[in-house]
Amino acid sequence: MSYARMKFYCDDRRCIDCDGCSVACAEAHELPVGISRRKVVTLNEGVEGKEFSTSMACMHCTDAPCEQVCPVDCFYIREDGIVLHDKNICIGCGYCLYACPFGAPQFPEDNAFGTRGVMDKCTMCAGGPEPTNSAAERKLYGQNRIAEGKVPVCAAMCSTKALLVGDGEDVSNIYRQRVASRGHGVQSRPYGWSTAYGR
Amino acid sequence: MKKTVLFILMTLGAYARVISGQVPLVQTDLSASKGGDLLVSSQMIQNILHYQTWGELFVYLQVHWFRLLFAVILIGVIVVFAIHYLIIGAKVFNENCPCVLVYPLFQRVVHWIAALSFVLIIPTGLIMEFGKYLGGGEFVRISRHIHAIGTVIFIIVFIPLFYIWVRAMLLSFRDDTRWIYMLGGYLNKKHVKVPAGKFTFGQKMWFWMAILGGFVMIVTGAAMYFQNFDIALLSKLHLDQVDLLRISAITHNFVGMAILALFITHLYMSLFAIKGSLQSMITGFKSVHELKYLHHSYYRKLLTKGFISEDYEEDK
Ligand code: SF4
Ligand code: SF4
Repeated sequence: MSYARMKFYCDDRRCIDCDGCSVACAEAHELPVGISRRKVVTLNEGVEGKEFSTSMACMHCTDAPCEQVCPVDCFYIREDGIVLHDKNICIGCGYCLYACPFGAPQFPEDNAFGTRGVMDKCTMCAGGPEPTNSAAERKLYGQNRIAEGKVPVCAAMCSTKALLVGDGEDVSNIYRQRVASRGHGVQSRPYGWSTAYGR
Repeated sequence: MKKTVLFILMTLGAYARVISGQVPLVQTDLSASKGGDLLVSSQMIQNILHYQTWGELFVYLQVHWFRLLFAVILIGVIVVFAIHYLIIGAKVFNENCPCVLVYPLFQRVVHWIAALSFVLIIPTGLIMEFGKYLGGGEFVRISRHIHAIGTVIFIIVFIPLFYIWVRAMLLSFRDDTRWIYMLGGYLNKKHVKVPAGKFTFGQKMWFWMAILGGFVMIVTGAAMYFQNFDIALLSKLHLDQVDLLRISAITHNFVGMAILALFITHLYMSLFAIKGSLQSMITGFKSVHELKYLHHSYYRKLLTKGFISEDYEEDK
């Protein structure tokens, strides 16, 4: 059986900068204040015809650079392509952030020293290495919606369906259909797509 | 071989892009950041487009080179000195007086505080570098904190360290070129008169590495430690914050290698190669016999000033 390869896609033609995804994420996973695994950003603000908004989080890259640089090897990549890490092994060194093209890794303060703690990032709602849906998993990584057969909460909440998540093939097809129905010839891939997933 | 060439090309390429001004000029616009961690702001998003400049270089170096080079230096330098010890052996001088007070109390205190900081910083740095073989987790995390504590101690002692020795550590063309030519006399089993003032060129290299290299390590280390710092400064430098972090990590690793190599050298010289060297940093005194050979210019100077005389027993 071949597994799906999960990918994120945010259609910047549809995103209306409502922040629904990032609020849904923060609430669903009970994130500490100041940590947003997903953020909506607006680029070229005020420049007519060029302004657009898009929603960014960990893209769960192909050959994830974060996984490659981690000095303690705490990442693991699921067969469906979701990039996860083990917070009990992570030392909070920050290298994954330097390696990441999307600025996804974040570092909530750790209580013991009041300094930068271990890394936190989007899990595509797939939890972590602890037993699925255990209290420990929930505390460290938030909900494991994938295990329950649910769509990640950000995409589920997106009111304009700008933010999609799912098997890369399906996401690409939806994207192609949308471009075709808009009827303007060539359009570049969505922001960051080729950096995350290659061609 | 292919790897080496690729590595050199990539490094040169990245620097060339910086020098030629092709490094992306990013207007940092924080209006788009919705609070929280400043790194994921529109500048971070814009950095996606120039990830190739520093991001890919950092990944390449960290994946293929840093750990390897640290291992080569760690093992290589130790092996070279082990061979030196077996073939040439230690230098033994008559440690009986007459002796000269070379390191007054304040200098010794400063030296040992600096020594403490290095002993905290260097092993913990290596623990992080090789963290995956230690399983990561609490042990390596605590090492990260000790690395920072050691740095605070080094920062405190940095200016006194510079101040007490900077004059004696200034390079002297006459002595230092001859010292390099004869490699400090360390390849000679017999005692030879080595041209050197109060400090040999070897000691000077270590001092300047500790001061200049140490300064670079403090700055790059602080950048990585604080991670979120004043963005205004960066936009003046036309750098994305995350690129500065990447450059800091790259620099920290390379300078760290140089410091590691000289630190091991210093340990070998003081603990093994020159008998009585450790003692002199505890008591402050060096015997005239040792000065005559290892610091011959200094010895001559003391003679002309009449602080010491030539009649003493060379052998016990
Ligand atoms: S977006 Fe960043 S954190 Fe996520 S998989 Fe890619 S490199 Fe890793
Ligand atoms: S912060 Fe944690 S996950 Fe990121 S590279 Fe360092 S140890 Fe690995």
